[in-house]
Amino acid sequence: MIQKKVCMIGVFGAGKTSLVQQYVHSKFSEKYHSTVGVKIDRKSVEVEAEPMTLVLWDVAGKEADEDIPASYVRGSHGVIFVVDLTRRETWEELPALAGLVQSAAGAIPTVVALNKADIPEQWVISADEEQHLSAQWTTIQTSAKTGQGVEDIFQTIARAMLKKPGIPE
Amino acid sequence: MSTTEFSGAEVFGISDVGLVRTQNEDRFAVASLRKTLTLLHSNLDDAPPRDDAPVFEALLMLVADGVGGNDGGAEASTAAASTIMSYLGSATNCFNRMDADADLEFMGQLEESVHLAHAQVVSTAADSHRPPATTLTMALLVAARAYLVHVGDSRAMYLRNGRLRVLTRDQTMAEELVDAGALTEEQAMRSTFTHQLVSAVGGSNMTPSLGLIDLRPHDLFLLCSDGLTKHVTDERIAAVLGQPWTVEQMCIQLRDDALAGGGTDNVSIVVARMLG
Repeated sequence: MIQKKVCMIGVFGAGKTSLVQQYVHSKFSEKYHSTVGVKIDRKSVEVEAEPMTLVLWDVAGKEADEDIPASYVRGSHGVIFVVDLTRRETWEELPALAGLVQSAAGAIPTVVALNKADIPEQWVISADEEQHLSAQWTTIQTSAKTGQGVEDIFQTIARAMLKKPGIPE
Repeated sequence: MSTTEFSGAEVFGISDVGLVRTQNEDRFAVASLRKTLTLLHSNLDDAPPRDDAPVFEALLMLVADGVGGNDGGAEASTAAASTIMSYLGSATNCFNRMDADADLEFMGQLEESVHLAHAQVVSTAADSHRPPATTLTMALLVAARAYLVHVGDSRAMYLRNGRLRVLTRDQTMAEELVDAGALTEEQAMRSTFTHQLVSAVGGSNMTPSLGLIDLRPHDLFLLCSDGLTKHVTDERIAAVLGQPWTVEQMCIQLRDDALAGGGTDNVSIVVARMLG
């Protein structure tokens, strides 16, 4: 069976672990656990009649004093960037994180999860900004809490990895 | 046990029965896996000097905390540790490639070793009234990357620049209830659920969690059974690991701290220091 390494990349607290937990284990916890290093999970999927195992690398989020090591991203087949719609800094870091991925893994498929879609009253990203981002990237609104968009984001990256488009310029 | 120098790290391990238990059901192991090109005979003009020959080394560290009375716990932790060492010793291709794709295969082999250990513990305990089980927290250090497999409530942590980070999450009922919002962390710490495993090698459920971390020079990496963490705070562990001591002195001090705190359980500690 094909195995594909998918890295979850974003600022700390954006919801990377919660998205993986919801997708792999159908679980959600309100309690925040900071990921240390990399947590690894697997999920078998079928994409266009092709069985595939997604090996999900839940990489510790970028912190003010700690960059994401490029060594974790190297060898990835795809990346899911996670943006927290309620925290602007998670959005502002996206270009730098994309640069890191580009230099470490080359032009691999990417998708942006716009997370915490279930609490629009707390969003700080405007509709215009979201539209601007969506013009450049494949974006999907997600909620690890309700499950909205979760299956979709992983299916989307899996399909993209079969076709192998690259990071937008 | 004497301190082991491995290319890139020095490591020491210690285990103690504690002050209350009559038997030590903890097991720990530190083992090196080595592949070396050693030139024996040649007529090559440019024969590589021995020191430059490619050497692949891996360092296995594990702690297993057996549970179950009448020798069962000790048998379970012994069986788990022995099975893993035997499997990894024969898995010849497990660490001789350093490319990114090898990570996926490598993690699969580590996970497989834990499933074999689980099957071994289950089979040896098939006739037991109360089947024994064991926790298992292990790390395989290849170059600076530590690959982790974790089952139960032993722990892995590391100290970098004075900051202690815990790499594992306890697989206990207390953690599950906190996650579900049924208990606060304070309530969970006081409850008996803290010691109730929801995943164990040999248990009715065994769900290994996998992870890795890239360590840096001077990082200190620690594995321990809960005989340490139930008596010694993370702050104290950080303070001991922050001392300019040998890894042996650190292990002994932490063991002594656990005993001074009550020593109600067996305690096992492995500490590795990454060399510069």
